[in-house]
Amino acid sequence: MAKPAIEFAGINKVYQRRFGGVQVAALSNISFEVARGEVCAFLGPNGAGKTTSMNILMGFIYASSGRSCVLGYEPGDVRAKERIGFLPENFAFYRYLNAEKLLQFHLRLSGRQLADPAALIASLLAKVKLDTYKGLKIGKYSRGMVQRLGIAQALLGDPELLVLDEPTSGLDPAGRKEVRDLILALKAEGKTIFLSSHILSEVEQICDRVIIIDRGHMVRAGTMQEMLAEDNRVEIIVDQLPEALEQAVKEQGASLEREAHRVRIAVDVAHKRALAEMLWASGCDVVSLTPMKSSLEDTFLKLVAEGGAP
Amino acid sequence: MNISTAAIRTIALSTFGSFLRNKVILLFGSLFLCIVLLMMTPLLAYKAMTNPANAQQMQGLILNEVAAVISMVSAFGSLLAAWAAADSVAGEMKSGTILAVMARPLRRWEFMAGKYLGVLMLMAVYVVAMLGVTFLLAWLGGQSFHASLWTLIVYPLVRYAVWASIAMLLVTMLHPILVMGVVVIAMTLITVFASASRHIPAWLRLPVHLTLPLTGLLSEERFLVITKASLKPFPWTSHLTILAYGLDYALLCFLLAVFVFQRRSLARD
Repeated sequence: MAKPAIEFAGINKVYQRRFGGVQVAALSNISFEVARGEVCAFLGPNGAGKTTSMNILMGFIYASSGRSCVLGYEPGDVRAKERIGFLPENFAFYRYLNAEKLLQFHLRLSGRQLADPAALIASLLAKVKLDTYKGLKIGKYSRGMVQRLGIAQALLGDPELLVLDEPTSGLDPAGRKEVRDLILALKAEGKTIFLSSHILSEVEQICDRVIIIDRGHMVRAGTMQEMLAEDNRVEIIVDQLPEALEQAVKEQGASLEREAHRVRIAVDVAHKRALAEMLWASGCDVVSLTPMKSSLEDTFLKLVAEGGAP
Repeated sequence: MNISTAAIRTIALSTFGSFLRNKVILLFGSLFLCIVLLMMTPLLAYKAMTNPANAQQMQGLILNEVAAVISMVSAFGSLLAAWAAADSVAGEMKSGTILAVMARPLRRWEFMAGKYLGVLMLMAVYVVAMLGVTFLLAWLGGQSFHASLWTLIVYPLVRYAVWASIAMLLVTMLHPILVMGVVVIAMTLITVFASASRHIPAWLRLPVHLTLPLTGLLSEERFLVITKASLKPFPWTSHLTILAYGLDYALLCFLLAVFVFQRRSLARD
């Protein structure tokens, strides 16, 4: 079996303030794996430790303890970095360069030998829709344009693994959709993508797996299906529900919501059969019966509110 | 280990390019050039006032003037080397540009080596430019230089390499402003110890001599004779020993800087 693209085993990170000796635990016993070819979302509220984890993954900071591995190498190893594309949170740049010059600089650092580097740069700038601004100094770019440029530089080395820290931050809805489509295209090419984002509806659309952390602790890791199947209820829709029957429905532990031409009844999966039969027997027309799925946002908020972290 | 010379060169050229656009360096460089040019005015006045009766006195004044400019050039060069080295690393960390750069297949020491080479490129330009200014001043003052050109280039360059490496080591631990404070204190101590060495007790003299760089040895002024007197012979072995001392000191500080940088966080905590 191929080794995972990313492995974190019992990672702890403690920041020690220089004076005063106060210790701040940023990560506590974080363990997870990201398989090759997977699109994995790394979620958590602000200050959860996502960027710290990504910095450890890239070798920018060192874990206080634990073991981590990227593409089979220690974080920071050049052999791993040759195959990683990275977009930092708040991508910073040399303001005096233009997009073309910045990409040339990063291409030279990547060590990638190409017959026609200008063609690659032109195609990447076109991909992120910056080709018409390639001569403009980056200092004059909008936040969204800088973010697109950051994505282009992450793709420069034709990476096997993409680590994207909030890739859609600062983008307008159209820009977000473009990035989403780009990630889906990269996924189709078999790239491994590890991303953090606060826009959970997007994560739900593009990711295979989700890892949730809160205040430096692991809350949950699982496939998207597992995350969305957290709700153990079914929804029964009927055309009408006599008021006399309402009490009997509620006695089954169901909740109901009346709309113009139908009634939605949510009930625990254990009571679905009894309730459905009772509704049929009472002359209600059962329009549909479907398992209820909570959105990723619902699951995320529930898990974080439950206090997954001590 | 496959060393990425292309990456080191890329970082060095980018660092040098950023210095040429650095507003602080450009501002102080321009101010300094203005001061040097202003100092030409009394020089020309002394020259105009010279007559057979006061020739010796005027000659002395002109020599003092040229010597003052050379000392200023030297001190400013040391400060510039230290500031450029400190700012080149700290600026990348403060702005966050270091993250995208270090995400590339680049080792931390290669990044530091590129930065250091970029600083040395700046200082090479400075040395050549200031040499031109010094020659111009001497020519205006009617003086002639007696010195090998290479000593006037290599000695200051090695001295600036020492200060740049010290600053690079300090900036891996301290804020650049503090780094400059430490550098100024060190430069002052070296001057004080050099001029009042006999009055300083041995127990204090020895540790200071062992830790602070003996930049007086690396001063090109020792070989720059701007009188008509003949140049003192200085053997090659002495040149080699002194330059080796300077390069050794710079290398040691640079390696310590790499050692500390290897272990520090690149991200803003």
